[in-house]
Amino acid sequence: MAVRILLADDHPLTRSGIAEFVRREETFELVAEAEDGAEAWEKIKELRPDVALLDIRMPGYDGVAVAQKVKNEGMNTAIVMLTSYDAQQYVIASLRAGARGFVLKTVSPKELTTAINTVAKGGLYLDPEVASVMGEQDFIPEQLSVREREVLLLAAKGLSSKEVAKQLFISERTVQTHLASIYDKLGSRNKTEALLLALKYGVVTLEELLEDD
Amino acid sequence: MLSQLRKKFAGSGSHFLAFLLCALIIPSAAVVFVAVAGMLSQERAMEAAVSSYVQDLAESMSYHLSSDSDVWTFSMLSDFTRFPFFSWGPSIPGWVALIGQDGKVIIASPGSMHIITSIWRNDLPIGRAVRVEDKQAAQYTLAVYPVKRPSGGYVVAAVSWTQLLGGLVGVVRIWPLLIVAIALLSFFSIRLLWSRVVTPLRSLSSDIDSMTLGKDVPENLPEGTIQEIESVHNALRRYAQAAVERDNLRNRYVRDVVQAQEQERMDMAREIHDGALQDVTALLQQIHMIADDENKTTRLKRSEIIAKTVVRELRAFCDELAPPWMDLGVNEAITELAERLSQAYDIIIMTDYDEDTDTAEIENDKILSLLRIIQEAVSNAVRHGHASEVDIQLTRENDTLTLEVSDNGKGFESGHINHETLRVEGHRGLASMTERMSLMGGTLKISSKPEEGTKITASFNIGA
Repeated sequence: MAVRILLADDHPLTRSGIAEFVRREETFELVAEAEDGAEAWEKIKELRPDVALLDIRMPGYDGVAVAQKVKNEGMNTAIVMLTSYDAQQYVIASLRAGARGFVLKTVSPKELTTAINTVAKGGLYLDPEVASVMGEQDFIPEQLSVREREVLLLAAKGLSSKEVAKQLFISERTVQTHLASIYDKLGSRNKTEALLLALKYGVVTLEELLEDD
Repeated sequence: MLSQLRKKFAGSGSHFLAFLLCALIIPSAAVVFVAVAGMLSQERAMEAAVSSYVQDLAESMSYHLSSDSDVWTFSMLSDFTRFPFFSWGPSIPGWVALIGQDGKVIIASPGSMHIITSIWRNDLPIGRAVRVEDKQAAQYTLAVYPVKRPSGGYVVAAVSWTQLLGGLVGVVRIWPLLIVAIALLSFFSIRLLWSRVVTPLRSLSSDIDSMTLGKDVPENLPEGTIQEIESVHNALRRYAQAAVERDNLRNRYVRDVVQAQEQERMDMAREIHDGALQDVTALLQQIHMIADDENKTTRLKRSEIIAKTVVRELRAFCDELAPPWMDLGVNEAITELAERLSQAYDIIIMTDYDEDTDTAEIENDKILSLLRIIQEAVSNAVRHGHASEVDIQLTRENDTLTLEVSDNGKGFESGHINHETLRVEGHRGLASMTERMSLMGGTLKISSKPEEGTKITASFNIGA
């Protein structure tokens, strides 16, 4: 059965380019196009596509807001963010809003196909270009300790070191030590990368990240 | 009437001065006038008194001598000695002498010979008092009266002014001195008032009139101006100088801004020219070659790589110009920037936020200001301070958001830092950050000590 897809992008040229990719693929079915956040949300409610490709920046409300609505309504539509911005914070914001894919608009059709298929099956797809470290396939991360996992998850939810310390009843200094150790084990240079890598290696799952959020 | 006058004088400063001058000139002129008149009339009165006294003396003497003719014939000497006057000196002031037809002194009261000869003049009129001076300029009045008796002769009477009038004569001598002194004093005080008050005040007011604030500093006041005006003038001078400095500062700031703008445009032009433009040209060349090339796939692959490079370059360029991820909120924006900077400079950057900073609605331009401050601070920490670790903290207290960027670099002596010293020392970035914060109604503080790193604290009100 073909994957039913909705495409929302306010830029007509980019939208038609991507639409053409999608249409060419036999296993995909483009059910609707939208040019802003409100139209996308209306069409998602109406058509219930399997996958929604959303531009992050759109007039009215943006892609992240649409993803949040989809998540809040508990719909089955999987969201792939499609963007020209490579900021990792956009990835984090998208993931927190329930998106399962994050793809730059410069991707090849092959990569886009992979992304759509991955998220349609419930997986997570992040564009390798977003976090360059994501490309190092042969890296095997060290196992995180239970405490380190807790620290990483809380930090990933946007809590500051101070708040993490308060919640886990440890000192702020200890939180910093844990974070340094986490970076080291995952081969990341900062919190965001650590989280993305942890997701990639399956150290933490997207579900855990979205818990009581 | 009085209120009208008051109104008139209150209206303008120069009228008041004229009033002040009149108040000084009129009374002193009046004093001089009254003094002169008083002196003259006193002189006249004194002269009249002395004259009538001397005339009376001479006349009464001549009358006695004329009527008592039988005594006179009997014995001249005994006759005269009947008058106590001649034998043991006058009991009233003055001297009397009887002179014969032949000009010889027949008899004289004691001491009178010496006095009368010292003041005697040949042209003396008869029957009228005359005022004369001796060689010491002492005043005398003299009267000569004829004696009507066969032997004839004259009675000469004289009196000294000091003898008759005593201290009054001295007063008359002092009068002119007093008058001259008062006149001179008034003259000098008016002159002083003119040169030290009126002229400086006029020059001060014309200075103020003609001064363009921010351009001129008032001229120096004339020498010897009174202290009060001098201090007003100095205050004005300081004020004008401050205005000039402020103006210069502003001009310099505008020039800097314009320069910075132009520099930025040149940088952008160069970046586009050397980057994207070159790449797109290469892309075009590849596309041209596709048409007549059998190895189309390789050419296409190459074109794709070039196009991707262009996109990446333009994206980085846009991020540099105005980070789009500001939309995500202040914490995310700072985290993103911190992570990028940490990779770019290869240093550790820690970020920490208060729980409630992210919930605050902060305008994008304020977030952008915070990002620029962080950029500038981290760049300075690495370039000047050789720091290896930077700590970024964002805290919120009520409506005040505070950003703290501290590093472990070399630090410097920050005791006397302000916009101007920053600018002069070439820290344009920090100087414009400071100005940017003050435009937002916030503050930016730089504290640093050698070997203790640098801390930059920016805070502003998010409600404002």
